[in-house]
Amino acid sequence: MMKHLLIASSFLLAAAPSLAAAVVGQPAPAFSVADSNGRTVSLADFKGKTVVLEWTDPECPFVQKHYNGAMQKLQADARRDGVVWLTVNSEGAGKQGAVSAAQANRYVRSNGLMPAAYLLDTSGAMARAYGARTTPHMFVINKEGVVAYAGGIDSIPSADPADTGRAQNFVQLALSDLKAGKAVATPSTRPYGCSIKF
Amino acid sequence: MPRFLMLLALLLAAPVFAQSYAQLPHTRIELISETTAPKPGDRFTIGLVLEPQAGWHTYWQNPGDAGMPPTIAWTLPKDVVAGPLRFPVPETFVVKGIMNHVYSQRNILLADVQVPAGFSGSLPLVARVSWLVCDDRLCVPENATLRLDLATGSGAPDPLRRADFDSARAAMPRKLAENGGFAVDNGRIRLSVPFAGTDRVTAAHFFSAGDSDFVFASPQTVTRTDNALIIEADAAGPPPATLAGVLRVEQGKQVLGLQLKAVPEAVTSGRPLSGAGARAGASAALLPALGLAILGGVLLNLMPCVFPILSLKAMSLARAGETPARARTEGLAYAAGVVLVTTLLGLAVILIARAGAGAGWAFQLQEPRVIVLLLLLTLAIGLNFAGLFAVNAGTLQAGQGLASRPGASGAFFTGALAAFVATPCTGPFMAGALGAALVLPPRAGLLVFVGLGFGLALPFLAIGFIPALRRHLPKPGAWMETFRRILAIPMLLTSLALAWVLGRQTGVPGLMLGLLSALLLGLGLWWLGLRQARRVSGWPGLVVAGLAVLAAPFGLSCLPAATAAAAEAAPEAPEALGAVSWSPEKLAAAQAAGKPVFLYFTADWCLTCKVNERGALASDAVADHFRKQGISVMVGDWTRPDAAIARFLEERGRAGIPLYLFYAADGSVTELPQLLTVNMLTALASSGSATKP
Repeated sequence: MMKHLLIASSFLLAAAPSLAAAVVGQPAPAFSVADSNGRTVSLADFKGKTVVLEWTDPECPFVQKHYNGAMQKLQADARRDGVVWLTVNSEGAGKQGAVSAAQANRYVRSNGLMPAAYLLDTSGAMARAYGARTTPHMFVINKEGVVAYAGGIDSIPSADPADTGRAQNFVQLALSDLKAGKAVATPSTRPYGCSIKF
Repeated sequence: MPRFLMLLALLLAAPVFAQSYAQLPHTRIELISETTAPKPGDRFTIGLVLEPQAGWHTYWQNPGDAGMPPTIAWTLPKDVVAGPLRFPVPETFVVKGIMNHVYSQRNILLADVQVPAGFSGSLPLVARVSWLVCDDRLCVPENATLRLDLATGSGAPDPLRRADFDSARAAMPRKLAENGGFAVDNGRIRLSVPFAGTDRVTAAHFFSAGDSDFVFASPQTVTRTDNALIIEADAAGPPPATLAGVLRVEQGKQVLGLQLKAVPEAVTSGRPLSGAGARAGASAALLPALGLAILGGVLLNLMPCVFPILSLKAMSLARAGETPARARTEGLAYAAGVVLVTTLLGLAVILIARAGAGAGWAFQLQEPRVIVLLLLLTLAIGLNFAGLFAVNAGTLQAGQGLASRPGASGAFFTGALAAFVATPCTGPFMAGALGAALVLPPRAGLLVFVGLGFGLALPFLAIGFIPALRRHLPKPGAWMETFRRILAIPMLLTSLALAWVLGRQTGVPGLMLGLLSALLLGLGLWWLGLRQARRVSGWPGLVVAGLAVLAAPFGLSCLPAATAAAAEAAPEAPEALGAVSWSPEKLAAAQAAGKPVFLYFTADWCLTCKVNERGALASDAVADHFRKQGISVMVGDWTRPDAAIARFLEERGRAGIPLYLFYAADGSVTELPQLLTVNMLTALASSGSATKP
């Protein structure tokens, strides 16, 4: 029994990626990932800029809830304020929500989304480095390259698009705090959504 | 596809003609009420039954790394208030390092609804429920609007729903009276949960209600001390002020949930669990058992049925003046014969026991039929030792021919014979080995028999290898008879102990049956002995004895099941209090008769309960006082899930135990503190409520 337990727990350990990484107040983990246009995008490319990371899964109802206009508006506002918005898809090949580069571009166009880049983190390495586990799961990195916000997109964990109007959007709040030169009032929340299928 | 399913879900859930149930693509959901006629001014319980499709799951209140708990939005008549959802004990479901706290089976969430005193008439409950249902690849949000039409009335429970609510309550975590303790050190969090009977725990998992204490997916190491379970995992952050959650405790197949709070305190780690460490524990038990078996084997040599064979052989070895090499060969051959036979006997015993007991290996000593057979066996051996009858006369002569052959083969058969004829006069040692073989894993049990054989062979081996010994052998004689008769005493004492166990298990009827068959067996063997003394066949005696042995277990299984069950259900209360097991009916009857009752609830895992039972409740002063005041004691055992107890506690607004209640003759009820003192108990007076000490 003991032996079985040991085997089982070592299996779990092997299977469990470290989910410890992006910590609010600490430098954001570096990454270099290919985007849907074949470019390699690195965090180092955006020194001195505020960066938003948005984990996505086009088939996830929690993501779809926000793609109903709310996310588009958030992305447009961010772009206007000179914030770099990176959409990241970490779904494993063959899993729900995994997309090819062409599918990603088509999806961005047809939904009126406007990220600076759509990153295809097919290995899941970037998600593991940040400890991203749901879609959506949001990170805001300030101009100094420090994680300023990590967590859910808003305050109402549901899949109902009607809730986006009533909820507090934590990313919006974090960005406006940063823009005003203040510390982010709510720097971390519990993310909700579909789990990322590595 | 998921979008289509969502659309379908929305369509199906459209609240056009809301019903009390809905079938969604991945979940069947139903709103049920314990009563169809809630009583105004009272509260009643409703249940939300979620039945995920096979392979899918719904979520606990804290879903883990991902997922979402069901939420409910009520539309209720004015002033009718629904309380928060209560969740049953969840399971873990890990997908690629992401921890989910889930229910993979039908699960029932409960909530209490309070009806205002002046309310009357129709009472429609409308609930809009949203939940997430997932398998290992997909997550689908589903929702439904459910409507249940009730009308005020007597508040009587709906018999049709009884089973659902019973099982729902059994699945709920039980509130732990004591606080747990936790400490965060070096990125690890360690939680200590007070728990009695930690030796029976096979596995445990702590489901934290918070988000920043335990890293959900971090494998939890569970250890135990005598009175606490220790759970250790990666810490998700700096130490929180307090910790809350549900500990899922598995004792074999039985699952127990404990809802607890923990405060910061020093926590050290404990020993491995007995489930995990069952093998370790067994091997720890194996060494003493093996030692005793070898010692027992050595002592068996002195048994009257073995010693003559051994001494004859040994003396022939000494007399013949064999070469040392030859003596050694014979010694080894003898040992081989002995060990072979004891091992075969052990194998037979283990196989028989196994076949009889099925999977429940360690539980057979709880089986009254096994006890009664052991009782009869020890009685027969005791009577044999006492000289009432003989067993080995025939076998001994039959084997003698083979054994008297010279050389190694003769020695081998002598050994085999010695071991075989030793079996009837196994004595307390063989019984000990038998006992060990019953509780140890089969292979270890077998090893005990090998040890017994080795011990039995040891003196002869010594004689074979140490020539000096051959000259100093004690001679068989009358002293052996005396020795044998003395050994009858421990054997008969063993029978007595077994009779006590049988009485505890089956009550007076079972004990009487056991004693009756013991009497029959004794008479039969006596008859046999008398006829043996006159050198005539003793078969009628054997027939009577055999009948007694066959009839006893059969008779036991024919006893009304209730006796056995009642005896089984009676918890180990302090004897002196003469506690009877609680039922609502018994309590009501006592109250109607105006009799004062001290009622308490306990469970084997409840530490405070055990402390009280060994402390204040066990005191003679309390027993005396209760007797004088005519206070009868009732006890409810919550070791296993029990719907009646759960309902009773809930009615009193209690989720956990211990609970000590005093019903005075005048009908007043006093709840005593959870830690009892003798003074508190002796202050209880039959006429009214407790006078404060």
